[in-house]
Amino acid sequence: MTQTRYLFFSGKGGVGKTTMACATAVHYAEQGLKTLIITTDPASNLADVFETEIGHKITPLGVPNLWGMEIDPDISTQEYRERILAPMRAVMPVDVIKVLEEQFNSPCTTEIASFDRFVDFMVAEEEGKGETYDVVIFDTAPTGHTIRLLKLPVDWSKHIEESAKGSGATCIGPVASILESKEKYDQATRLLGDADRTTFTFVLQAEDTPIYETQRSSEELKSIGVNRIDLIVNGLLPEEVCAHPFFRGRYDMQQRYMRRIEKLFAYPMKLMLQRDGEIKGIPTLRLVAADLFRTNGAPPAYSVDIPERTGVQSRNGITPVPLMDLIRPKGRSRTIFFTGKGGVGKTAVSCAAAYALAREGNKTLLLTTDPAAHIGEVLGQNVDETVRPIDGVPHLWAATIDQETATVAYKQRILADAREKYSEDMLKAVAEELESPCTEEMAAFDKFMQYLELEGYDALVIDTAPTGHTLRLLQLPFDYSDQVGLMVSTTQSSSAAKSESQARLSRIVDRLKDPARSTFAFVMYPESTPVIEAYRAMCDLKEAGIATQFVVANQVLLPQYCTNQYFERRRAMQERYLEEIEERFHLPIVLLPLLETEVRGLEMVKHAAQALSAPQHSNMVLV
Amino acid sequence: MKPEITAIEIFDPPMCCPSGLCGPSVDPALLDINEAVLKLRKEYDGKVTVERYLLSQQGQRFMQVPAILALLKREGVSILPITMVNGKIVKQKSYPTYDELKQTLEQTTI
Repeated sequence: MTQTRYLFFSGKGGVGKTTMACATAVHYAEQGLKTLIITTDPASNLADVFETEIGHKITPLGVPNLWGMEIDPDISTQEYRERILAPMRAVMPVDVIKVLEEQFNSPCTTEIASFDRFVDFMVAEEEGKGETYDVVIFDTAPTGHTIRLLKLPVDWSKHIEESAKGSGATCIGPVASILESKEKYDQATRLLGDADRTTFTFVLQAEDTPIYETQRSSEELKSIGVNRIDLIVNGLLPEEVCAHPFFRGRYDMQQRYMRRIEKLFAYPMKLMLQRDGEIKGIPTLRLVAADLFRTNGAPPAYSVDIPERTGVQSRNGITPVPLMDLIRPKGRSRTIFFTGKGGVGKTAVSCAAAYALAREGNKTLLLTTDPAAHIGEVLGQNVDETVRPIDGVPHLWAATIDQETATVAYKQRILADAREKYSEDMLKAVAEELESPCTEEMAAFDKFMQYLELEGYDALVIDTAPTGHTLRLLQLPFDYSDQVGLMVSTTQSSSAAKSESQARLSRIVDRLKDPARSTFAFVMYPESTPVIEAYRAMCDLKEAGIATQFVVANQVLLPQYCTNQYFERRRAMQERYLEEIEERFHLPIVLLPLLETEVRGLEMVKHAAQALSAPQHSNMVLV
Repeated sequence: MKPEITAIEIFDPPMCCPSGLCGPSVDPALLDINEAVLKLRKEYDGKVTVERYLLSQQGQRFMQVPAILALLKREGVSILPITMVNGKIVKQKSYPTYDELKQTLEQTTI
């Protein structure tokens, strides 16, 4: 009997990771291998690519031998919760159950539950429980989150071991009852490192940021013992369609990045051309699979044999709104959050917005909570956790929130507080408790709150982490205020600590919900998946009581450059999605056209800032 | 003469972890009780066991001890934390201090 192979697809969102994972799945299934594709991404688009409902269960995907499943973090949490609560329901009084239920809404639980589900899956397979597959493909969450998810088995088993020697309990349950889990996590970790069984495929595009992130993430994976990594470079422009100087410039830029990729990475590599239409539905996935697993030396293809509405003029077009009209502070400090899937240009848009605000004389602070912060690369100067003025742009300051650094600082602060009062043994116990993965989440949030409460800036521009993560981060205040409400105050001082943090949390929550002080904007490409994801994320925000105020459509192709069928088709596709954005969101739309080069360096930031606030883009866009 | 072991059991209020450090701010009462437990374990090495139970993690224990279950049913979670020494409730609604625990131990172990 052959052993199951595990394939993980990683990489920044928006690079075509899901498409590659799905095409790979179709390929193996059509080779007669029993294949399952699973997503752990909270903002999954597996269902969109296969054009079918999937959900939190194993579902056939319309190709023989192929099944799919979306691991829903909410349902996982519920299942995890019920496993523990079910035996208590019959006996415990209602108010105890209610308190416990609320407890399980904590962010730690959500994180644990999703992860647990994912490990369970691998382990159950190993033990031959339930269905077994020849190939299991994980279309994992975007880079930063993925790494955290995968790093957990290592952290946790370490955490459990240390905990067993110490206070005897951790966030994931009492040590006694998770000895079984420890084995489970160790087994999962071993599998992740087994080159014969497990492959990590990084999907990236030939651009600065994805290269940087792939390097960072693949190093991290190697350091936690992953041995088999390969790459798919996606979205390459076919040379023959780049006759126009504008695209020739972008083609040359990609080729320069290709050289860099070849120099930097020793991993096996596959190249994929950008297509003139969307990959949606099984026939188009077969086209991609044919390129991924090409054996006959045929040239790579870029045409999707599904006619786009070429030459058809957009019916009404959209009327873009100048960015500054939407974000200018009106006499009081304003926080602007740019959110959206990773890789859609949040950082570029945030930098340009902050630049534009500063240029109008607003004292502006630009912050990033992106786990793979690259704000410094965009601004062309060093940006780190310390707030610093940006050279060459009066009124502009910038800093990053690095989760790891924040965690270290948070631990130090807690330990310093404890050091004054407690014994060495106690400090050791506290330090051990702080090794929990929950601490990281907590620390980043703590830092985030500190910045939100900074006085003295007219505008705060926050380049948030990818959508799923952002939502968790933003929902934290709500969850935590529930948690704080539960904190049992047994002494005077503890009651003071409680009311202080409660007051602080409700201040933050009020602020986030006040549209005059906080502005939420979604950045997206006018393409199917990014639009759907952003829409879902907007609904999630709405549920948390936050209304999105506008959207930014990025990398919009300008008609004057689209002089052949390839780009006309792509532009027609974009037009359709711009209209869809308008129909779905009913919000002002700001446009950022595809520029000659990436946004790198202050000159390009300025250029992007001007383009974002161009009155109407009259000579540029789709009317 | 065989060494007598005194069992201290603390039924904690709902929280993420026994030190309470998982929350957004650290509850000093939790640090104090943690410190007390550590000190007692050291001082009475082998003669005293201290167990702490969390509702969300060791809910079984709350249901196994009739006195605890009865109190919870009657008073709700606000009755927690409850401290038991050799099966007898010595304190409820708040944590005992180190001195209180020590005093109880002196009385029980003699």
